Amino acid sequence: MDNPLPTTSIDLKGKRILVVDDDRMNVKIIGGILRHEGYDLAEAGSGEQALEVYSSFHPNLVLLDVMMPGIDGFTTCRTLKKTYGDACAPVIFVTAKSEAEDVVMGFDAGGVDYLTKPFRPKEVVARIRTHLSNQQLVEQQKLLVDQLSKANAAKDRFLGMCAHDLRNPLSSIRGLAELMDENAIGILSPEQREIIQTIHGASQSMLQLVNELLDVATIEAGHLKLAKVPTSVAEIVERSVHLNNIEAVKKNTRIEMVRTANDPVVEVDRNKIRQVVDNLINNAVKYSPRGSVITVLVHSSDSVAGFAVRDNGPGIPESERHKLFKDYGRLSAEPTGGEKSTGLGLAICRKIVEAHNGTIGFENIPGRGCEFVVSLPLYK
Amino acid sequence: MNFSGSILLVDDEAHIRKFMSLLLRHLGVTRIYEAANGNSGLEVYKAERPDLVMLDVNMPQMDGLQTLKALKELDPDCVVVMLTSLANRQTIDEAASLGAANYIRKDAPPEEIGRALADTIDNCFEPDESDAGAPPQ
Repeated sequence: MDNPLPTTSIDLKGKRILVVDDDRMNVKIIGGILRHEGYDLAEAGSGEQALEVYSSFHPNLVLLDVMMPGIDGFTTCRTLKKTYGDACAPVIFVTAKSEAEDVVMGFDAGGVDYLTKPFRPKEVVARIRTHLSNQQLVEQQKLLVDQLSKANAAKDRFLGMCAHDLRNPLSSIRGLAELMDENAIGILSPEQREIIQTIHGASQSMLQLVNELLDVATIEAGHLKLAKVPTSVAEIVERSVHLNNIEAVKKNTRIEMVRTANDPVVEVDRNKIRQVVDNLINNAVKYSPRGSVITVLVHSSDSVAGFAVRDNGPGIPESERHKLFKDYGRLSAEPTGGEKSTGLGLAICRKIVEAHNGTIGFENIPGRGCEFVVSLPLYK
Repeated sequence: MNFSGSILLVDDEAHIRKFMSLLLRHLGVTRIYEAANGNSGLEVYKAERPDLVMLDVNMPQMDGLQTLKALKELDPDCVVVMLTSLANRQTIDEAASLGAANYIRKDAPPEEIGRALADTIDNCFEPDESDAGAPPQ
């Protein structure tokens, strides 16, 4: 090759080409050109024969004459595409006529290109090389996507398994520490108590991390199963507000709920949506200064209903917006009471809300704080 | 907790048995039996006839659901609370249809586990029965 093309970095030697033409002279000419390029050739003198040879030769490319006795080139091409689907080799039509009409018909039949007789060897070689390279790239890409999705599934399984096998022992450690702290095996000395509380705190945060990892793995693996029932938004919010107020008091923070005049109903998996409400309220408490007031507002319109959590925190810089709902998307803001964060909470929220065909978004409130809004399809 | 009956704990993981038994003692339960697998759980049940069984779902060989079935065949009135590590709806439903009285998530805080247990006892035993530690009718 005196004038290598950029595509020569892909090795095309030995690629199989099926040449279909009832004109023996054409087959001979084109065969000569292609053999010189190092391709492996098979020949067929008709459409019927082409279909037969294809099945045993498995070509990487087919050069197909349009005008042939018996089934013509277009019909042969359609049959090949129908039989082999996406796996079918690219078909280049060979035609004596160069009318646009013919070419369009050829493309309709599934051809990728056409060559006109008489052949210009350089053109033949260049076009064939281009299509073979494209085909090879497509195949490589398919293989890569396939490998990646397998690797991703393996990662999810691994993550799920790890989280599973870590949870039980962690639950025991936390539970035993808590029971000891409650003097279940006798009164502790101050130092023993401090140590046992440290063990309790550490195992508690690990358990939360593992739970969040497991949530992500479950959702990613497509195993998020929703047990949806019609549910009052206010009821879910009220319960979370009540429970979270117990913790919030420790930071002198208060969580208030604002209802709507009506009582909108959505069809949701209660536990999952509770998890979303809890997570958003928890974040609001976590990132707001001590002594803040967090507001949870129920909202509804003609088609959606949901809730908004408004905090007194520093807001979220616009430059970090893109990270917000992504896995491990921790932002620059720090919890104000030394709380822990995995950076998975909002990603899990988004996945849960989206699994309900809902939306989750956030806005900074000019002045102070920000607001997370969850909207779910209204149950009718 | 207002319960003077006996409880059999069946779980293949020693740390879970340790945690649960300490929790039960802390809640005032004095008669606690332990078994590390379904088969020995059944043996202990036959020998001791405990008032309540706490049964792990996920065990090697004979799993919790199989053990539950065997327990119910042995004694249709036995009160069984399933111990799960994940709230797998399907497993829980299956356990319920096999006659389990309740389920408890092992990763719940002790307080919550205690509450779920107390609820089950309230539902399954007449006050005088549990005071006497007698099995349910």
